[in-house]
Amino acid sequence: MEGRLANSWRLTVNDKNFIKTALLSEIRIDGRKPFEFRKISIKFGREDGSSEVQLGQTRVMGMVTAQLVQPYRDRPKEGILSIFTEFSPMADPSFEPGRPGELAVELGRIVDRGLRESRAVDTESLCILAGKFVWAIRIDLHILDNGGNLVDAANIAALAALLTFRRPECSLGGEDGQEVIVHPPEIREPLPLTVHHLPIAISFGFFSNESILVIDPTHNEEAVMGGRMTTTVNANGDICAIQKSGGEGVPRRVIMQCLQLATSKAASITKQIKDAVEVFNTERALRKIKRHPTSTGNDVREKQN
Amino acid sequence: MEVDREDGRSQNQLRPLACSRNILHRAHGSASWSQGDTKVLAAVYGPKAGTKKNENPEKACIEVIWKPKTGQIGKPEKEYEMILKRTLESVCILTVNPNTTTSIIVQVVNDDGALLPSAINAACMALVDAGIPMKHLAVAICCCVAKSGYVILDPTKLEEQKMKAFAYLVFPNSVHSVLPEGSLRVEGEPIENGIITSVTHGMMSVDDYFYCLERGRAASVKLSDFLRRNLQQQSTDSSKAG
Repeated sequence: MEGRLANSWRLTVNDKNFIKTALLSEIRIDGRKPFEFRKISIKFGREDGSSEVQLGQTRVMGMVTAQLVQPYRDRPKEGILSIFTEFSPMADPSFEPGRPGELAVELGRIVDRGLRESRAVDTESLCILAGKFVWAIRIDLHILDNGGNLVDAANIAALAALLTFRRPECSLGGEDGQEVIVHPPEIREPLPLTVHHLPIAISFGFFSNESILVIDPTHNEEAVMGGRMTTTVNANGDICAIQKSGGEGVPRRVIMQCLQLATSKAASITKQIKDAVEVFNTERALRKIKRHPTSTGNDVREKQN
Repeated sequence: MEVDREDGRSQNQLRPLACSRNILHRAHGSASWSQGDTKVLAAVYGPKAGTKKNENPEKACIEVIWKPKTGQIGKPEKEYEMILKRTLESVCILTVNPNTTTSIIVQVVNDDGALLPSAINAACMALVDAGIPMKHLAVAICCCVAKSGYVILDPTKLEEQKMKAFAYLVFPNSVHSVLPEGSLRVEGEPIENGIITSVTHGMMSVDDYFYCLERGRAASVKLSDFLRRNLQQQSTDSSKAG
């Protein structure tokens, strides 16, 4: 019970030394090998665009919503993509509610860079009326449980939510063709987003002995490691982003080794995401078929006695 | 009087309930509660040292953080936090751990009607999972009154919007005691006849309100049975050490 009364969590010196010594013999405290990813499980909610990803003990929820807005003046023909990261206080006793701290901002920026600058999501298809109406896609990432390596899990949650999100179909109307009519989902089937490729973020941890490198650190290992690097690659072997902010210096060959590892892991993770999305889409189609017998305007009415 | 509801339920039928505890690893207690499509996740951290500025240091303090599914935190979220806080303060035994704060974080996963009752139920289960001392559980239910006067339980979001008025009611859980004479009584009435919280929206007549209370209390007995079965099943949890 004493451990609970303290508001901050600190790893003991014994634990830290144990982790470091074990890594010298290539043993990690949860039994994985240094280049092994934890088990990823991707689940979806009832509505389109909501995903829940579990990476070992880390749990992240992603929600995608869309709104019609005016585009930015310097990009009148492109839609808007924005990412909001919430480090919920339920994930870790040290997360405070309120404004996002530096970790939250960094995570949001890494996921954002992977999606936006690599043009993974096609923003030009989000334009309805150039200069007047475009779709603004908002991705909310809620970190529910901090078991380490939040970036990778959040990235997968964002991708899964984007792949299952559907925006309402709209058409131009009115006298001069300048009004936008948004069709409700019961009338016209909503459309999925155009996603060209899936940028997968893979994080590495470096320890004080230069040659020790682990993939997908847990939060115990994160407290011990000397440096971290996140590489965002896609299954085609393109590097979308690399983030190494501070920490110890690593030689060039280690960076190359990381990139090669990341590319091979990205292929398997991409397949896993696509399979999960397939299953969701099949279920969704089945649900639509079952809905038809009862979906015709059943208002709550009383039978007259 | 027969009533047709969109999903085929009868007037007094609740949606399928599902509850699982101990789903998060860092939180001291956690629970996920779903009523039909409404799903809420609650996590508890506590007791932590110290109380907030305006709180009484001679008692334990409860802090609620409500996280909506998307968007900024505004006035409705603050209202939910306040209602949850006061409900849970009356359910927990605050004198056991004075000068401590227990934080409850509620995350809305999906909102399809009866959101606040689901959140109260989830928060209670999370408190049980964390081992926070409580007098009894709080069982929450939502009742709606339609324009033509009939009352339905546990509405979906569409039903809530169409109804004239609705009420969120929170009752203590029903008691199964070995000696019926020995069960808790407050001023001569058994404790389960009390109401912990009542929040109403819209206008309804006094008779309608009392009818809602009756229906709500009957439903709370069923909910209490569900909670009892659920807690007994999962009572082989390993203890949480730090």
